[in-house]
Amino acid sequence: MNQQDDKELQALLKQAIAPVKDTELPRDLWPEMLKKLDRQPARIPWFDWALAALLSVALLFFPGVIPALLYHL
Amino acid sequence: MNQHTYLRAYMAGIVLPTILLIGVATAFCIARYVYNIPVPVERVIVFPMAVVPNLWGLWNMLFIGSHARTHLSIGLHGAVLPLLLGPLGFLLTRILDFPVPHDELARILPILGPIALIAYYLVWKYIVGFLNGVLGIAQT
Repeated sequence: MNQQDDKELQALLKQAIAPVKDTELPRDLWPEMLKKLDRQPARIPWFDWALAALLSVALLFFPGVIPALLYHL
Repeated sequence: MNQHTYLRAYMAGIVLPTILLIGVATAFCIARYVYNIPVPVERVIVFPMAVVPNLWGLWNMLFIGSHARTHLSIGLHGAVLPLLLGPLGFLLTRILDFPVPHDELARILPILGPIALIAYYLVWKYIVGFLNGVLGIAQT
C-alpha cells in the first residue's frame, strides 16, 4: 500500500463516517461532582437502629420463625 | 437515564430475593437430600423461586408508579408486601398439600408477623432503596 492509497483510504473513511457535531458538553459537570463529593453519607435514624436491634433479638429468641421468614423472602 | 423506568424498577426489585434464593434453596436441598429431613420442600420451592422475586419486582414497579400520588416512603411500601406474601405463601402450602404444623404456626404467627414487617421495612428502605438509587430511579 503506497502513500497514494493511504490518502484515498483516508478520504473514503472521512466520507463514510460523518463528522461528530457538538463535541462540547452541554453543561459543566465538575460542580455536580464537587457537590456529590461534599454530600454527607446517609445517616441511619435511631428508630431504624432500634428496629434492627429488635429484629435481631426476636430472631435470637424465636429461631423457629427463621425458616418461615426465609420462605417468604 | 430516564428511559425504561419500570423495567429498571423491576430489576432493582428482584435482586435481593434472587440472591438470597441461592442460599435458601441450597440450605433446603441439603437439609432435604443430605440430612433426609422429612419435609417435602420441593413442593413449595416454586414460591420462593418464582413468586417472591417477581412480586418484589412488581412491588417496586408499583412503588415507582404510585409514589407521586401516595408519597409513601419505600420502607413503608415494602412493609406492606408481607401482608400479601404471607397469605399467598400459606395458600400455596394448602394447595400443594405441604404439611404445615398448625399448632406451631399458630404459636409463631404473632411473632412472625411483626418480625416480617420490620425485616421488610428495613430491607426495602436500605437495600431496595439503594438499588433504586444505583439504577437512577431513587424516590425515597
